[in-house]
Amino acid sequence: MNEQDIMKLFSYIATSARGCIDEPKIYGSFRLVEIMSKLFWMLKSNNLIANDKLNRIIDKIDEKKYVCVKDEKEFIGLLDEVIDDLFELVD
Amino acid sequence: MNSIIDIIIKRRSIRHYKQEDIPKDLLLELVKAATWAPSASNMQAWYFIIVNDKKVLNKISSFSPGLLGNPPNVIVICSDRNKAFNKGGKLGRDELCLMDISMAAENLMLLATEKGVGTCAIKSFNGKAIQKILELPDYVSPELIISIGYPMKEAKPPKRKTVEEVSFENRWGERI
Repeated sequence: MNEQDIMKLFSYIATSARGCIDEPKIYGSFRLVEIMSKLFWMLKSNNLIANDKLNRIIDKIDEKKYVCVKDEKEFIGLLDEVIDDLFELVD
Repeated sequence: MNSIIDIIIKRRSIRHYKQEDIPKDLLLELVKAATWAPSASNMQAWYFIIVNDKKVLNKISSFSPGLLGNPPNVIVICSDRNKAFNKGGKLGRDELCLMDISMAAENLMLLATEKGVGTCAIKSFNGKAIQKILELPDYVSPELIISIGYPMKEAKPPKRKTVEEVSFENRWGERI
């Protein structure tokens, strides 16, 4: 992970924050889980995180996140599931 | 040969791409299809920026949250609001040139589908940042980014309303 990776992530976050003012509401939720995924893969590729359970949660997000534009109900279900999964991991 | 309706129904918004560049000739063919879209008063107040430089693409990606799936190429469709105003007045500048661009984008995406190339039309980007990255003059605005690449996998069709649900005959409320 280098400074440029961080700059890109910050640019993504700031652009998303600006976009969320005008864009469909659900895009905000999508961007947040997308950021979770980006951050996880950035940390993992630099051996800064190695948690299989968290990896599985992120895989689930990556597999299902695009459903937000097709089926809002299913996307909300995914978010609820992710929260339940994370609840088990937090001390 | 696929009929036009087959191509229309087959088109999907692709968000997983193979890392294989689309040949420049094909990208130019896609732009050609776009330029044959209907245009109000034939104003053609559009420009197409083909992006195949990875450095430029990376920078665009950092300021385009809607650009997903790491596409190897994009085409940025831009409007020339001055040209649109000169030819089409206020309506041309504020509405018609955007309608033209939408129709051009559909032409481009349909031809891409026929060629086995995936696309996705994206509006979630920061216009000012994209304008700077592409060094666009003030009067030229990025309106749509079309991500382009070979699809990693087939996308499932989304749910669509039936023709009966969205159509009326002769007057509002008169079901077909």
